[in-house]
Amino acid sequence: MTVCENIKQQLAAQFPGIEERVKIPRPRRIFVDSSIEEFKKVFEYAINELGFKHLCTITGLDELDKFSLIYHLAQENGVLLNIKISLSHEDPVVDSIIGYFPAAEIYERELVDLFGIRVNGLPEGLRYPLTDDWPLDEHPLRKDWKPKTAS
Amino acid sequence: MKTIDKIINWSRLKSPWIIHFNTGACNACDIEIIAALTPRYDLERLGVLLKGTPRHADVLVCSGPVTKQIEDRLVRIYEQMPQPKFVVAVGTCACSGGVFQGCYNVKSGINAVIPVSAFIPGCPASPKAILDGVIKLLASLEMKEEKE
Amino acid sequence: MRDSNKFKIPIGPQHPALKEPESFSVALRGEKILGVDIRLGYNHRGIEKAAEERTYIQSLYIIERICGICSHSHSTCFVQAVEEIAALEVPKRALYIRTLIGELERVHSHLLWLGVAGHEIGFDTLLMYTWRDREVVMDLLALLTGNRVNYGVNTYGGVRRDISPEQAREILKGVDILEERTKYYIEVATQEVTIIQRLSGVGVLSREDALKLDAVGPTARACGVARDIRKDDPYSAYAEVPFSVITDDHCDVYGRTVVRVKELMESYKIIRYVLKNMPEGPIAIKAPRKIPAGEALGRYEAPRGEDVHYVKANGTEKPERVKVRAPTLANLQAVKHMLKDRYLADMPIVIAAIDPCFSCTDRMIAVGYVDSNKAEVINWEALRSYGIEWYRGKGIDFSKLNKEFSRRAIS
Repeated sequence: MTVCENIKQQLAAQFPGIEERVKIPRPRRIFVDSSIEEFKKVFEYAINELGFKHLCTITGLDELDKFSLIYHLAQENGVLLNIKISLSHEDPVVDSIIGYFPAAEIYERELVDLFGIRVNGLPEGLRYPLTDDWPLDEHPLRKDWKPKTAS
Repeated sequence: MKTIDKIINWSRLKSPWIIHFNTGACNACDIEIIAALTPRYDLERLGVLLKGTPRHADVLVCSGPVTKQIEDRLVRIYEQMPQPKFVVAVGTCACSGGVFQGCYNVKSGINAVIPVSAFIPGCPASPKAILDGVIKLLASLEMKEEKE
Repeated sequence: MRDSNKFKIPIGPQHPALKEPESFSVALRGEKILGVDIRLGYNHRGIEKAAEERTYIQSLYIIERICGICSHSHSTCFVQAVEEIAALEVPKRALYIRTLIGELERVHSHLLWLGVAGHEIGFDTLLMYTWRDREVVMDLLALLTGNRVNYGVNTYGGVRRDISPEQAREILKGVDILEERTKYYIEVATQEVTIIQRLSGVGVLSREDALKLDAVGPTARACGVARDIRKDDPYSAYAEVPFSVITDDHCDVYGRTVVRVKELMESYKIIRYVLKNMPEGPIAIKAPRKIPAGEALGRYEAPRGEDVHYVKANGTEKPERVKVRAPTLANLQAVKHMLKDRYLADMPIVIAAIDPCFSCTDRMIAVGYVDSNKAEVINWEALRSYGIEWYRGKGIDFSKLNKEFSRRAIS
């Protein structure tokens, strides 16, 4: 069994029903669609039991009827676990993971600025990457966002 | 040209002091600008000196397509320079926005914000091109002097 | 966990008209730094949005220009992700050529860094020497690709330029020269007392903190963390090329210096191996204009560390989503941590030591003195000069070394 198959089996044993939502497109790459309800447990299991101790980044996606977030976690042996969750498009809100990964702060600020996703637990701080005077309700990476004027 | 202008022009010709500013560039042009100051290309033999403050600079050497974050600072630096002052846009981004034309957070080049005296294209502009551009700028000052 | 040291920089009445934001805010108690806030985004151009509005071929040109020092890194990382989605089997010769360019890029980047580091601490002749040597690599890259930077070597399915036996010979000659010079830099870095004194114990990051804060690249490897994507998650030809991951246990700026100069030697080894074992065959296979629906995560060990590109395709000729996480962003938390409880004079070299992918030369720093409630804004040049003077006051002075270096004739 490959390393990835092994991890898939472990996830399947721990989280009933998750197996069909785990994809292994190539060696060292696992993609998991997690439900919001199980996400925290899956996340903690991946970090504490499966050794995914390095956060590469967090990707936000505007999928029109929902927002999705992918948490890209890595093991020291190069295996990447990409955990995807979906948030409501009308009111996207998620809990911060800076308690697990302090480095996540900048990636979460990006989600706030570029998608307008609310991140609970983010401390007060400088916004990133947009300017201070950028309107708070303009989120450039949303699919329906177009620049107002030509630059 | 008045006598005092001739003297200023002459001293500018002999030793222009430059300030280098990056307006959101990818750093490629900035490195080529600094490389132009190293012995292989040796901008310094033209008397060009890199200064840290706009208040003593004659020439503002600018890279980058001017992001929204940096625009105010660019204007501020330009305003702080004493007359006569010249602006050199180094690299295609500084000239026109380059590959970033149309991106939501950039203007389309330095001259969208401040007047530019010389455009040096290239992605990045090579140190040789930068040297060439600076020499042309100095020569145009000399020609201006001869005309007046 | 978040520290409870929340500080607010008092910006006094001296700066009512300060319109542009400061890039760094430092809270000082006495001479010690309580904390640093770093404002990035000055070079946020909107590349990810642009990529969604351009074809894959157009996107490649903009991705390559994310950073002018590691343009091949970004280009290759992106191309790898797209090729994975499209299930393209890139010819081996192309992978070897990508590796070759990638290592030449690492060499130019590390030499550049050495010079910049020298400049930040007042050792300016090092800048002149390393950047002179760097020109050897720049000439080779221009010879191979037609440009000194932004090489445009990659295409989907392979590379656009082949390498001739004559070019290979030129590269080997260049590598021989650089190896000699690098041996000298290693000597300087590890034996010059002034350098050791200046850089040791500065910018300390423990191994535990490096792991906790997700540091990458030489910054992490200098803390004993053997993290190198070329070994951990091989791409291009790295699975076949023998080389060592360089780590160091000093956990400080000195360690980061040692890691980079030793990595240069590994790069020369890799370049020689790649040239000697270059497979025959085509340099590219044809790639479709429309990339089938799918997603992939590309990873690359750029000179500064792990570069990550997530790409989602939707069956059209434009990407659905492109997400880039450059290595400098990953080291941001680590650098804030390194500056806590250190001196203001350390700031330039500590920041430089993560090899940041942003131009520091004109950034403004707001310094708040917590005890007196005063504040001032200085520019990077002033901070650099302050650092050099401060250490001169402690007896660490590079004027002698600068004079000595200017006298020495390096062949």
